[in-house]
Amino acid sequence: MKRLTLILLTLLLVNSSAFAKVDWESKGMQIAGEIMANPAAFFYDFQQDLEATTPLPPGKRFGFQTSLFPTTIPMTYTNVSLKARLHGEGRIAPGVPQLDIVGGYWNMLAAKMATKDSASIDNAKFGGYYMGAIMSSSVSPRVRTFWGYKRSQLKARLDFKEGEQPEFLGTTINSFDTGFKDDFFIAGIETPKGIGKLWSIQLNYGLKTQTISSKVSWYGKIFELGLNIYPEGVLVVHPVWNFHLNF
Amino acid sequence: MKKILLSALLTAGLAGSLFAAAAEDSKIFTPFFDMTLTEAGYLPSEGNIFSGGNINTQVGLLTKITQKDQLFGLYNFNYAGPGFAPQDSRQFTDRSMSHGFNFEYRRFLTDRLRIRPGVALATEYRRTGANEVWKNGLYNMNSAGGQLAADYTFDEEKHGYVTAQVLFRNVAFPNYTDLLREFQNAGNTAETSGGLQDQTMTQVSLRPVWNSFFAGVTYTVQNYKNQKVVAATGVYGDSKQKDTNTTLDFGFHQKLWVFELYPTVSYAMHRSNQNFMVYKFLGDTSPQFGEKYYDFNELAFSVPLDLNVTSKWAVGGAISVTRRNYDKRKARDAANNFTGSAQTNTMSTLTGSIRKRMNDVAMVRLFYSLVVASSNNKFEQYMPYNYTGNTFGVSYQLSY
Repeated sequence: MKRLTLILLTLLLVNSSAFAKVDWESKGMQIAGEIMANPAAFFYDFQQDLEATTPLPPGKRFGFQTSLFPTTIPMTYTNVSLKARLHGEGRIAPGVPQLDIVGGYWNMLAAKMATKDSASIDNAKFGGYYMGAIMSSSVSPRVRTFWGYKRSQLKARLDFKEGEQPEFLGTTINSFDTGFKDDFFIAGIETPKGIGKLWSIQLNYGLKTQTISSKVSWYGKIFELGLNIYPEGVLVVHPVWNFHLNF
Repeated sequence: MKKILLSALLTAGLAGSLFAAAAEDSKIFTPFFDMTLTEAGYLPSEGNIFSGGNINTQVGLLTKITQKDQLFGLYNFNYAGPGFAPQDSRQFTDRSMSHGFNFEYRRFLTDRLRIRPGVALATEYRRTGANEVWKNGLYNMNSAGGQLAADYTFDEEKHGYVTAQVLFRNVAFPNYTDLLREFQNAGNTAETSGGLQDQTMTQVSLRPVWNSFFAGVTYTVQNYKNQKVVAATGVYGDSKQKDTNTTLDFGFHQKLWVFELYPTVSYAMHRSNQNFMVYKFLGDTSPQFGEKYYDFNELAFSVPLDLNVTSKWAVGGAISVTRRNYDKRKARDAANNFTGSAQTNTMSTLTGSIRKRMNDVAMVRLFYSLVVASSNNKFEQYMPYNYTGNTFGVSYQLSY
């Protein structure tokens, strides 16, 4: 390990001249511009962070989840997700997969507070829901694959008070009213990481908007840690922390 | 043109995956699943920091009908995000996404000989930035076709077999338009510049595998349906564009004590009857003519080495080099004028990594790469040719 560290350090030193200075101001402007160009896509990525799209563990009938980061904190997405098992794997006949239904709802607390307290915001509504089904099948004692479908919808509306409209890049913004809705195909694979701990990777693909996301998750009985990747998103990598209980 | 080459390689890669999916004796249905995810930050010497990723997902199902008859279906999703790429291939910000469906019937004629007729459908989207709509990409592509492969096992003990395959694809680029033709016919409102990349592609390959050594020879012919060859006068002639590509490759994956080595080398010879006109500005009345502009030979090799420190942890290093020599294409100076020497591009990558195996089917890798791209082409207004770049990222793989 020390040798590798030395090699990496050497590489960094040798090519230090190759490093261009990162223009953070320009990068910030680019990110802000991308958010303003498509705010719904930006906010929808956070919705995907809270969506529970892994199957229930074998033997569990119901599941509850609330996402803590980056949804509740700092985005103030108060949220709840539920899972219910319709069919356990192999119950009807050998080889018939497990089937779960999943769904959830969120509402942005900050939007409500802004409407109440802000001198410039007249009306703000941010919220969304999703629902779907996940089918999972064990392909070996240590591997379970899952496929699914979900419908996701987000609505975002923000009205500024007359005379209090902000300016962005020289343009006065009166309001924005946007949304996102798509049907997603889900494919994933799950494998144990330790006793009571699982590791999964999944792809979510929006059939109409070609939205792509990939979720890498580690989860136990109470918490889920994850790295959600939105390769075409504004913030490409979202570290995720979720609380869940399965019964 | 490079887009088609990539598609051809993708097809060949898919064929390899198809062979890899083998039925378990006790099962009627055997699933095949492979998902690889890479996300990285890129810091070039020219330009600002950016991020990019790659996602490849293969989901397949092998159905054993009888002892001798099988059906195999495979869906392949591939996303290639922004990143460094060999010169003349794409811009840093280009990204592509493809869906491929492959269905094949497998029939064991003898214990050692198997044939695999199949059909394939694919859709590929391309765009240069996140602000474009996927469906409007200039190089979006649809392809459909069939293939026939035969596998002959010559050494069961050391997993030795040879695969011969011929495949055919009908390829359409629904959004493609020719800027030169539009420029020359600015007053013409009729649709004369569409469908020019539409083509048929035929590929023949022979690939032996033995004891984790593999090699192959692949010959590809692309016949353009509408694209004519541009003459030195700047006018399109009567002959249609035809490209051929011959690729030889060799590699192995061997373990020796704690070392794991999986080098590959390939040599490609691309030939095309197409020429090129260089207009330096809009209204240029004396454009420069580039004869046989797309002929090149390309050598690529990659030597990855993993040192397995424990059964779970490994440290790795890799060097890879891609060098392309054009036959007739002259390099350009900074003012966009042809020089006297043929263009040569070289891209070298040095990588260090840490790999952890989570279990039999999953692994994660952290990596850092130094990229050095050099070329005698100094005109870099649209595409970078000479730069260094740093990449740091993480890669996950789950494969069953």
